[in-house]
Amino acid sequence: MAFALRVKVPPNSATLEEARHRTFDFFRAACRSIPSIMDIYNLYDVVNPSQLRSTIAAEIRKNAHITNPKVIDMLLFKGMEELSNITEHAKQRHHIIGQYVVGNQGLVQDVATKDENLSSFLKNFYKTNYF
Amino acid sequence: MASALRAAILGHVRVPVVVANGSKLLAPLWTHRTTAVRSMSSHDDHLEKNQVIDRILDIVKSFPKVDPSKVTPEVHFQKDLGLDSLDNVEIIMAIEEEFKLEIPDKEADKIDSCALAIEYVYNHPMAS
Repeated sequence: MAFALRVKVPPNSATLEEARHRTFDFFRAACRSIPSIMDIYNLYDVVNPSQLRSTIAAEIRKNAHITNPKVIDMLLFKGMEELSNITEHAKQRHHIIGQYVVGNQGLVQDVATKDENLSSFLKNFYKTNYF
Repeated sequence: MASALRAAILGHVRVPVVVANGSKLLAPLWTHRTTAVRSMSSHDDHLEKNQVIDRILDIVKSFPKVDPSKVTPEVHFQKDLGLDSLDNVEIIMAIEEEFKLEIPDKEADKIDSCALAIEYVYNHPMAS
């Protein structure tokens, strides 16, 4: 309940330009919290800040084709929720590593010849939990 | 004797002080103070220009999408390097991290080339 009361939703973006601007603001806010995230989850031996920055940019770029300001606002809200969860230490180290450090490359990369005959189901299973 | 000498000297030596208003008298003193080296100031370890250029070029070259051979001090991020606006912001954030700055959003929006970034960081008093 305390969490629900604290959430404040900003008014919708009027134009695409405003939504675009908010996206950049969110990206900056996320980038500025990288040092504290590295601290909280002790990520120094697995990743460096510029890799995390690129990951955040890649997550944003996944939705680059969206032109409806309301949808962008919704995605930004989800992004801010995720960011505040991360900075409040609501996650554990392996969540961060699985989602943002190992990311979409997956833990097992199919480079060896024995992997060629693997079913796509199994490949996707190995690939990631996070979509 | 003494009064004659005094009159003779005063006749030749003129002190060119024009007091139009009080502040003009102080102004030269004041500008002299601010341009002088403030040896105990913490802001005094200012960066050399070529040091700034080298560090910014290193940041841009290490950016994954950038071809390092194309990077020059005058290069424009979006026109010359083929980056988009999000990459631009990413480079600015990398510069912020490197020089331990926080660039306000309005000014960060204007920085779209190496030359502007170098100029901004070089003129920033807190860059380190």
